[in-house]
Amino acid sequence: MWRRRRPLDGLDDDIEAHIQHETDDYISRGVAPEEAHRLARLAFGNVGIVKEDVRALWHRAWLGQLRQDVTFGVRLLRRTPLFTCAVVLSLALGIGANTAIFSLLHAVALRPLPVENPEGLWKVGDRYPYAAFRALAGDETVLASVAAASGVRLNVSIDGAPEPTVDGQLVSGNFFRLLGIRPVLGRAISPDDDRTPNAHPVVMLSHEYWASRFGREPSTLGRLITISGTPFTVIGVAPPGFFGIEVGTAPSLFVPILMQPTVVPVLGNPPRLITGQFRVLTRLRPGVTAAQATAALENRVHGWLEREMSGRANLSRFGDSVRAQLIGVNLWPELSPAATGFSNIRDEFSRPLLILMAGVGILLLIACANTSNLLLARAAARQSEFGTRQALGASRWRLTRQVLVESLVLAGLGGLVGVGLAHWATRFLVVFISRGQTPVVLDVAPDARALAFTAACAVITGVLFGVAPALRATGRRMVPKLRVPTSRSGTHLRLVPERLLAVSQIALSLVMLIGAALFVRGLMSLDGRGGGAAQREVIVARVEPAGSYSRRRPPETLVRIDREYKNLLERIHAMPGVRSASLAEYSPANPGGIYRRVTTPSGTEVQVHQPMVYPRYFSTLGIPFVEGRDFAPRDLEEHSPPVAVVNETFARLFFGRTSAVGQPCRVMATDSAMPCQIIGVVRDSPYADITGDVEATMYQPFLQTDTNRGMMVLHVRTSDDPRSVIPALRDALQHAHPTAPQFAIQTIADELDAVLVRQRLLATLGTVFSLLALLLAGVGLYGLFAFIVVRRTREIGLRLALGAGRPDIARMVIGEALTLVLVGVVLGSAGGVVLARLATLRVALLLPTVDARDPLAIAAAVVTLLTVAGIAAYLPARRAARIQPMDAVRANC
Amino acid sequence: MATKDTRIELLQGTLDLLVLRTLAVGPAHGHSIAKAIQRGSDDVLQVEQGSLYPALHRLIKRGWIAFEDGTSENNRRAKVYRLTAKGRKQLSIETNRGERLAGAIARLLHPVSQE
Repeated sequence: MWRRRRPLDGLDDDIEAHIQHETDDYISRGVAPEEAHRLARLAFGNVGIVKEDVRALWHRAWLGQLRQDVTFGVRLLRRTPLFTCAVVLSLALGIGANTAIFSLLHAVALRPLPVENPEGLWKVGDRYPYAAFRALAGDETVLASVAAASGVRLNVSIDGAPEPTVDGQLVSGNFFRLLGIRPVLGRAISPDDDRTPNAHPVVMLSHEYWASRFGREPSTLGRLITISGTPFTVIGVAPPGFFGIEVGTAPSLFVPILMQPTVVPVLGNPPRLITGQFRVLTRLRPGVTAAQATAALENRVHGWLEREMSGRANLSRFGDSVRAQLIGVNLWPELSPAATGFSNIRDEFSRPLLILMAGVGILLLIACANTSNLLLARAAARQSEFGTRQALGASRWRLTRQVLVESLVLAGLGGLVGVGLAHWATRFLVVFISRGQTPVVLDVAPDARALAFTAACAVITGVLFGVAPALRATGRRMVPKLRVPTSRSGTHLRLVPERLLAVSQIALSLVMLIGAALFVRGLMSLDGRGGGAAQREVIVARVEPAGSYSRRRPPETLVRIDREYKNLLERIHAMPGVRSASLAEYSPANPGGIYRRVTTPSGTEVQVHQPMVYPRYFSTLGIPFVEGRDFAPRDLEEHSPPVAVVNETFARLFFGRTSAVGQPCRVMATDSAMPCQIIGVVRDSPYADITGDVEATMYQPFLQTDTNRGMMVLHVRTSDDPRSVIPALRDALQHAHPTAPQFAIQTIADELDAVLVRQRLLATLGTVFSLLALLLAGVGLYGLFAFIVVRRTREIGLRLALGAGRPDIARMVIGEALTLVLVGVVLGSAGGVVLARLATLRVALLLPTVDARDPLAIAAAVVTLLTVAGIAAYLPARRAARIQPMDAVRANC
Repeated sequence: MATKDTRIELLQGTLDLLVLRTLAVGPAHGHSIAKAIQRGSDDVLQVEQGSLYPALHRLIKRGWIAFEDGTSENNRRAKVYRLTAKGRKQLSIETNRGERLAGAIARLLHPVSQE
């Protein structure tokens, strides 16, 4: 292209030289200089046209015209700043909202991992046991390499001082090599660190941790970090932006898997035993397809499984084929693409985000309809201008193109402002979804795909709302437009497309309002399930003493852990500000615990929820006793008779009106049936299952249940502000278990925030977006009828002069407007209900308590809409009623 | 000087040809080319001098002439145009064609009275 530029350079000089030459010629023939110059110019012809012709020769014709159109369009927009601002703002809202939600969705679900060649990564199954991973890792035939990783919380202290607990990743030796990650300092964890269990106390830092905790000091290399009481050497730092393979997390430390027994003390594993489930990643050998690899691996895994089980388990009950058996035990090595890594956040938020995308899509449509209406009105006013131009020879296509360009300029401006809004909004959203849990870390910086999406939005928007006005402005009836407009009868102004647009705006807004109302109602009902005041007064914190999660555990361990718990509770009870404290197997917001078969005296056998608790659990949570008593310290001695406390539902189901207290039951444990006596009945826990129904529950004291799990959740009821007690609690926990990681210490209300975050997201954003949509629709309605009133000023003036009352005029306008609104409401209600029914199956998991035909929600939505629409219709009507007949007759429309 | 009536409006292609013909003699500035065409046709062919420039740029685009920055006689910066090899070849082709066309027109206008 650069070559073409040179001929155009100096064109002005060339032409000037030419004319000057001609002038000199004339002068030499005796003509006066001024006259000579004039004659020279005459001889040359129109300089401007010549320049334009030459330029047009080099540029493609349309490029020059495009620049013209854009300049013209911008000038036009600047002349009507209010209009321009209104349009750009409404477009910015629509495009911005779409971009924000898409950015979040993209970051959560679509963005490839920041590793080398993410497209070549495959994951095996969802999570794979470590031993199975080792069986796979030996395969050289179809897999180029296999790596494993899993997230852990690590107890860290540096130079003797305890540090805040960090998130870390256990990684296999070839993890970094597989991902193609090179450290910025030192070396990465390598296969040399993956040879002997517990013999590689090395750690890699994330770039973020190195910057925030160590100030990017190069001397960090070689320093010692103590993890769970054992010193580890820092061997390297990962590059910036690398966060492992779990999207939404940001581990600070990377530790070799074989160090698991040391850094995960809760497992209580012997030093050479690695247990647990891991994420497994692999790359295939060139030329091998996923299907081929899966088939080859199936046999390998099956062979390993048979050796492991050596006849103990009966695999054939799952079927005869290797594949069916592996699927039955959850060990089928299914390969699926892993370019986007793994993510819990993704699993949780994909659906809500998709629902929100539909919502903002509708919002954008409404904004487009609004803009289209405004532009249509303006195009009608420009018909005389376009009529003239067409009469002078401009083609219809040329004019249409110009109007389209104007629309695209508006859309472009809207897009730019929208991107700015989205930037701020996306960050806010990430903070929102992090409430009550470990902060979610997402890279929401826009990348090519996100920006392309925004650009596409803007272009499609521009074309959508630009086409109709463009066609309208260049309509065929051009000649009559040149005449001075005569009076028009009211019915002539049918404005059908505008009315249709207004109706559809109303309908769409109502659909969104109904959706939002349903989400809000659902959230309100879920919120109401919590225990009221107790939510804010009770603090919870997970506790995981060493060895408290292990399969084969000697009874001494259990006793030791119990003693540690009792000491902890004593210490906490002594703290100021603490009213009562207890331990339970799970926190109210994250229910857990096992189910066991229980036989009642009448012989009924049922599956019953069986959480473990300590004494004073019920009083700490504010759950009152209906009859009987709580567990006492004497029930926790090693050989005291087994007892249980049941909830109302249990008592009612199995004992009816008779008292459950004193009744014996038999609990089926792994090997035998254990008899136990019911000593008390409590009210159903309001927290039992926040998103489900209450079930029959039997509580047992810690030492008396037979279970693998020994981790508990500390519950502390405070008498003062909970926040004042938290630091002391932290110290107490640190003191009790110096090598165990600490978990978040927060109130039940905070925890519930995290559990209900999706519902809260949908309810909040749903309300915001639907109110925005309603606002836009209202503005659109107002604009339409304001325009109609202006156009019919003469008619209205005549009516008034002929004796019509002002209220009649107002009624006429409002009547027309409300007809449109009513049609929209009917369509919208029907649409909203249908959509909600269709969506019920998918929404149900989020809001089980909401019926799609919830009359209160629909009523609320319709009332809100009618209020706004009423105002939008009333304002132009008022203006119409105020028209002075004399002004109207003089009006020239 | 020929009056307006006797001026014949030139077709684009013919103008291009005349430019090539003019430059076949040697490189020249825009003004000189215009003057040469005017003189050479005894003022019959009055070209609006401005329309020379689109013609020149057309020829540059086709690669039949080339240009350099130079100084004109009155010390102004202006381009100097010259014929390229390609242009020379094109000129001979076009000349033949033009001559044949001119001959055909002449014969049509003044049929040799035979019959």
